[in-house]
Amino acid sequence: MNAKHIVVLTLIAAVVLSAACISQDQGKSKLKVIYAGSLILPFGELEQAFESEHPDVDVLVEGHGSIQAIRHITDVHEEYDVIAVADDSLVPAMMYPEYADWCVRFATNQMVIMYTNRSNYAAEINDSNWYEILARPDVMFGFSNPMFDACGYRTLMVIPLAESYYGNQTIFDVLIARNFDPPLPLIKDNGTYTVVVPEVFEPQGDKIAVRGGSVQLIALLDYGGIDYAFGYKSVAQQHGLRYLELPAEIDLSSPEYCETYDKAKVTLGFQRFTSVGVERIGRPIFYGITVPKNAPDPELGLEFVNFVLSEEGQRILQDNNQPTIPPEVDNLDKIPVELRPVVIKEIKE
Amino acid sequence: MNSLSGWPGTEKLKREKVYILFLFLGLVLVAFVFITIGNLYYKQAEDFSGLIDAATDLVVLKAIAISITMALASTLIAFLFGVPLAYFLARKEFMGKSVIEGIVDIPLMIPHVVAGIALYGVFMRYGLIGAPLRKLGIVITDAYPGIVVAMLFMSLPYLVDTAREGFKEVDPRLENVARSLGASHWRTFREITFPLAFPSILSGAILSWGRAISEFSAVLIIAYHPISAPILIYEKFTSFGLRASRPISVLLISICLVIFIMLRWLQRRRG
Repeated sequence: MNAKHIVVLTLIAAVVLSAACISQDQGKSKLKVIYAGSLILPFGELEQAFESEHPDVDVLVEGHGSIQAIRHITDVHEEYDVIAVADDSLVPAMMYPEYADWCVRFATNQMVIMYTNRSNYAAEINDSNWYEILARPDVMFGFSNPMFDACGYRTLMVIPLAESYYGNQTIFDVLIARNFDPPLPLIKDNGTYTVVVPEVFEPQGDKIAVRGGSVQLIALLDYGGIDYAFGYKSVAQQHGLRYLELPAEIDLSSPEYCETYDKAKVTLGFQRFTSVGVERIGRPIFYGITVPKNAPDPELGLEFVNFVLSEEGQRILQDNNQPTIPPEVDNLDKIPVELRPVVIKEIKE
Repeated sequence: MNSLSGWPGTEKLKREKVYILFLFLGLVLVAFVFITIGNLYYKQAEDFSGLIDAATDLVVLKAIAISITMALASTLIAFLFGVPLAYFLARKEFMGKSVIEGIVDIPLMIPHVVAGIALYGVFMRYGLIGAPLRKLGIVITDAYPGIVVAMLFMSLPYLVDTAREGFKEVDPRLENVARSLGASHWRTFREITFPLAFPSILSGAILSWGRAISEFSAVLIIAYHPISAPILIYEKFTSFGLRASRPISVLLISICLVIFIMLRWLQRRRG
């Protein structure tokens, strides 16, 4: 046997092995789940647990920015059995009534500032000086795109809220506004703050890095390309990053501060294409889950939602640092009977 | 039997049998691309005013211009360094040659996001190349050079591989004749080898340029800004849906198609 034979045999073995791996999942029912990028790790675990309880089911999962995930259903007309997003208000705004008519809140989160040991001033930063440290000339920070990532527009709520919490009216200007060209406008009116996101949303200089989703920011943080990034506490913990917790008054984590959070708004400052969802209003972070109306296998979809909301599902989420809340639904009369036992409360706002 | 004048006779049909079979097989691929892109245009035709809006939108035009010019810069760099490499690989046998060829082809197999992250690691402010460049005041990430770097990485194999095959087709005996007549090696390359291999090199350059324009994932990581066309399309799709992103796609494809057809036409005239 010469070298050529060995190479050919190796190639054949690789193909056969791959085919064997692929054929393993053939013949199983497929369950397609699409969800927010911040749920990637916990939903990966949920997938495995669900598959081990339902050996005949192959769960296919896909992680995206929340708005992007919804677009896959409403615009590209792809069919999914379950969708889970990081902002439950997006479901009624973008999917009702054609693609869904109920949405269950099942999880929450907390805005933090992620960093690493190598970040400049990592030893100094705390919850009373972070906005001064981020403003220093040798500090670079990042956040995700507010036009389509929930974490991005939430960042643009946290910073104006910080102005009122710390009683310092320059924080937004120093950190955000002047690093954009033209400067990003913040309209202050009677205690409310409105950030207007222009059509051309492009940072000037290299102080700020904007990326599509928080996962890409983590790559930048890991390399030290940026020092700090705004993100979710769960994501920081899942990736073993250091993080600074912000005061509850500004971190969008607590329903107690609803009236404080809704002082901050983010609007898209151009009307083209924007039939829905031009304005996002500050509110506590709630994750929403639903079964789209065009789901190919709605029964299996409901079974998965049921599993996510079950004690076991909630425990898996918590074990993966994803904080949960007792499930609540917006339209109790629309929710399928299968979910009635786990979701009893209707949201009252 | 000449009643069907104008149609090829059965004699000719027999002679061209293989061509006809191959044409039908080949048309499957052509149809595959044509139907996919045609459907995009067809859907856009229902919203013609959207296309006009995009074509007169400075933001859109700037993004397309960035993509086209940065891809050109990337192709010129690939040309400058890739042609010598291709010539060397075509003419010389040496230990580890397949390793070098393997390295050149890595960008073809690597997932683009992985390439983007790896490039970011090297070119960011503390990176192996990024740090010294920064001392000279050159910033790569989130700047024009970042776009070029990502495009160059993803597209260089197309130029190197195609040019190498082109050089291989040039008979070394022609070079030997020129040199035995007293031409220097450099002059032989310039006046004999390069012109003969030029159609392949041009072909490789066109492929590399097209591949560079289409690069998305790697650019997304290393230079999200300044916004190039694929990033703008992604942004518009995710924020506002297909209605906002499709006209930009149609515009980009149309412009590139025109450039591509013109380049191929030029190439054929030379050939």
